[in-house]
Amino acid sequence: MSITGTARSPRRGRTRAVPAAGVAALALTLAACGGGDSGLGGGGDVAPPEAQDCPCEIRFAWWGSDTRHESTQQIIDAFEAENPDITVVPDFTDWDGYWDKLATSVAAGDTPDVITQEERYISDYATKNVLADMSELEIDTTKVDDAVLAGGQIDGAQYGIPTGINAYAMVADPEIFADAGVELPDDESWTWEDYVSTANAVAKGAGDGVWGTQDYGFNEAGLNVMARQRGEALFTPEGELGVSEETVADFFQVSLDLMAGGGQPDASRTVEYQAAGPEGGLLGTNQGAMGVWWTNQLGALSESSGHELELLRLPGESEGERTGMYYKPAMFYSVSADTEYPQAAAKFVDFLLNSQEAAEIMLTDRGLPANTEVREAILDDLSPTDQKVADFMADIEDEIVDTPPVPPHGSAELADIMERLNTDVLFERVTPEEAAAQFVQEVEAATAG
Amino acid sequence: MTDASTTAQTVPAPAAAAPSSSAGRAAPGPARGTAVRPRGPRLRARVGAVLKHAGLIAFGFVMLYPLLWMVASSFKPNALIFREPGLIPTEIDLTNYTDGWNALLHPFSHYLVNSALVVLGSLLGNLVSCSMAAYAFARLEFRGRRLWFAIMLMSIMLPIHVVIVPQYVLFSQLEWINTFLPLIVPKLLATDAFFIFLMVQFFRGIPRELDEAATLDGANHLRIYLQIMLPLSVPALATTAIFTFIWTWNDFFSQLIFLTRPEMYTVPIALRTFVDATGESSWGSLFAMSIVSLVPVFIAFLFGQKYLVKGIATTGIK
Amino acid sequence: MSVIQALSRTRQEVSPRRKGDGRWALFFLAPWFVGLVLVTAGPMGASLYLSFTDYDLLSPPEWVGLDNFTRMFADPRFLSSLGVTFTYVLVSVPLQLAAALGLALLLDKGLRGLALYRSVYYLPSLLGGSVAIAILWRQIFGADGLVNQVLGLFGVSGHGWVSHPDYALGTLMALNVWTFGAPMVIFLAGLRQIPQMYYEAAAIDGAGRWRQFRSITLPLLTPIVFFNLVLQLIEAFQSFTRAFVVSGGNGGPSDSTLLYTLYLYLKGFGSLDMGYASAMAWFLLLIIGGMTVVNFLASKYWVFYDD
Repeated sequence: MSITGTARSPRRGRTRAVPAAGVAALALTLAACGGGDSGLGGGGDVAPPEAQDCPCEIRFAWWGSDTRHESTQQIIDAFEAENPDITVVPDFTDWDGYWDKLATSVAAGDTPDVITQEERYISDYATKNVLADMSELEIDTTKVDDAVLAGGQIDGAQYGIPTGINAYAMVADPEIFADAGVELPDDESWTWEDYVSTANAVAKGAGDGVWGTQDYGFNEAGLNVMARQRGEALFTPEGELGVSEETVADFFQVSLDLMAGGGQPDASRTVEYQAAGPEGGLLGTNQGAMGVWWTNQLGALSESSGHELELLRLPGESEGERTGMYYKPAMFYSVSADTEYPQAAAKFVDFLLNSQEAAEIMLTDRGLPANTEVREAILDDLSPTDQKVADFMADIEDEIVDTPPVPPHGSAELADIMERLNTDVLFERVTPEEAAAQFVQEVEAATAG
Repeated sequence: MTDASTTAQTVPAPAAAAPSSSAGRAAPGPARGTAVRPRGPRLRARVGAVLKHAGLIAFGFVMLYPLLWMVASSFKPNALIFREPGLIPTEIDLTNYTDGWNALLHPFSHYLVNSALVVLGSLLGNLVSCSMAAYAFARLEFRGRRLWFAIMLMSIMLPIHVVIVPQYVLFSQLEWINTFLPLIVPKLLATDAFFIFLMVQFFRGIPRELDEAATLDGANHLRIYLQIMLPLSVPALATTAIFTFIWTWNDFFSQLIFLTRPEMYTVPIALRTFVDATGESSWGSLFAMSIVSLVPVFIAFLFGQKYLVKGIATTGIK
Repeated sequence: MSVIQALSRTRQEVSPRRKGDGRWALFFLAPWFVGLVLVTAGPMGASLYLSFTDYDLLSPPEWVGLDNFTRMFADPRFLSSLGVTFTYVLVSVPLQLAAALGLALLLDKGLRGLALYRSVYYLPSLLGGSVAIAILWRQIFGADGLVNQVLGLFGVSGHGWVSHPDYALGTLMALNVWTFGAPMVIFLAGLRQIPQMYYEAAAIDGAGRWRQFRSITLPLLTPIVFFNLVLQLIEAFQSFTRAFVVSGGNGGPSDSTLLYTLYLYLKGFGSLDMGYASAMAWFLLLIIGGMTVVNFLASKYWVFYDD
């Protein structure tokens, strides 16, 4: 007996009688006793329903804050004006709540028709057949760079289409560099050693309460860049850990060198600034000259710092065998594998991706648009900060070798592992080498299942 | 309350007792007055009271600090909240309030109304159904009482995170997702065992002699429940009401999961949407609207706490 | 007969027991019973079943027997979260209850402006799980926070409390004690439930205030003390929101604030391992249940009921 089979979305099948109350409770209890099929399933365990024609109603789920909700509603209105037979129901919350809610609704067979995904979870959802292969849907992806598009492919199927791109880059505050009497580094040639010495020099020159840089060790993206510069990668296309223990240890060592040289604050301050997000970090509070952030965070950083911040390439781009920086899909548009209205869902995703009107409303809110044609078209509408991001992204385009593969199933735990081990290293509870060994072991365990 | 007084006045007092009066309560001193020397102690008492107040006020500041800080932050421009985290803002900016009120798809009042609806339903449910169940556990003899009591307690020992998914399946079967029903109906069905247990403890504190006398007068259990237990348990009912109000008002997780459409969102969900861990956040609006949403709970508490002190002591019962 | 003697009557002297309340019980328990069957039992049963399965929420559960439970005891993070939780519960619950009882007694009567004090002291408990708490707590316990500024006045240089693995749990416990408002309110209500006649009679008998407190207030308040103890223990073991908010969702730094339920949540929704999370939940139920049973057994020796 499968509840999932019958319990589609609540807005469908209004005909069922309400006394199902007792039946449902009973079904759950029976299922609990009987073993076998539990009644708790997932979107992926049933055959996709017959595609239905419109007029219809589709649900679009996304995460974000108030500004995104407002602009997305405007895009939905524009889409509905063009497609009067399709109603798009918004379903949004903050980041943490989003994933709890999504997992719950998928478990109950009530998957949203169009889902926003992120690299941390897309493998989980894709490999459990929750997401449709979008290459079979009528969505025009010709304007999206192939390398970027590949960021949403798993085993040749297109489970997500990137909404836009970000890059992990060094953000620098020229005013603090000037105060410290240190010159901005040449980001085309600087090495990881230069990074350490520059940060230490700024801290010395700027005096008490101002540091050279904010610790970068909490985010696995930095490790990925360093690994790629050495010809390795965080994950291989086969979904295995592709980084050597040595690289991980070197990665953690940079933080220790910075702490020893005064370039970054002591361990407990570092943890504090990390927890405070972009606004409360060193750059946001004018207490540091550098920090590694995603390019889409430049806006929040600039606003709270009140200074004009600059984007720099990460160190070591010319130091190793190849460059390590990459375009990261900011998020993905995905379509539920068991939506009743795949055409309508596809039409909506196509609109989000390719419509000039949508792009003009969205601007860079979901990353610098993946569709290069609309990206060009909105450049003039961007704020100065966003233009800076667009220029920077264009500058590094030729240097980028490839887009990393989608991280494997289970990689959602990676962020927590990284954060925990980096804290241990900073407080010198383990050596970088020990942390590296533990990292390899834990990540392999997490992604094995 | 008058019902209670009349019923109770027929009850013989279990022990010799002076007529109760609130004056006697406030000053137990005169009862042992013979031993009191005239001036010294009164002065000492006054100094004592002043010291007590000073201590309470100092401590009150520690308790008040977070609210003062939040109010201060809500008047700071977004950019300064983190750069100048102190208590006194250097710039005062009211736009957080106007922006926050209108930032979401609906004006913030919409979410306040939704929250109020959920709270009212939960209040009604908890007050009626939990007190009924509590009466049974406190005063009735029936088979398996201990077992049922244990089962009741067990139901609050599982973290919500593992029952929410089966609950969602259940409510989606009933087509209750995206209505207030999953949030209110369980309360009507006394699923909040916390309050049952709370009221059991209070009911058991009410002298049995009262209901025995009422039984002799021919009252049945419904009358005892309505005319003795409830009126004598105003503090417990007030506690239940206050907590139901505050906890429902602040409850995030179940409201997040069961309400899917923006027009149904309640205050806690709306507040979260000001902050995005992955991008830009409207901290100023968050603080401003947090203050706004604190006002109803604080008023509820101010109003409700009056009833906390309306115990047996003040209802005229001997 | 003096009141104090009356109060110390044993339970055997209490009135003859009623028989045959079954129908009335059915009437009064009807809503609860319907709720139990329809709303509570099903999901609880389902989670029990899931604890014996491998369930990722996205595909149907698969029966794995006791696998989740054996995995639990080989999981170092699980064991460490158990330790963190016990420390948290055993330290913060007694402190919180002591603060709540002390202030309730102080704020019960005989002072001007009591309503105001009560309300102000309850304020921190109103904030709930607001995100603002996280920022506030850093502002107080951060490296450059309020606590260190005050310490600095005395020439002591502190370090970051909230972000140090050795002290972060302490700040979390402080947060829990600080929100003593709920048990305080229950104590206040309990104090007002004590019939005034007892005090008056005791005063006539010449009992002083201390003796009144020992012989009337304390014994008659024991059911409420007991209630608060049982419920605060149950709640503390399930503490989630504050640890989640203050640690930024991951129980950091270095798992030092990884409370049991927070780890359970991270497993269930973060790692999509709901089978494991359900097993953790039922193990927690065993712990809390056992603790509660012990509490009830012990209550016979110190809790006084007037029935």
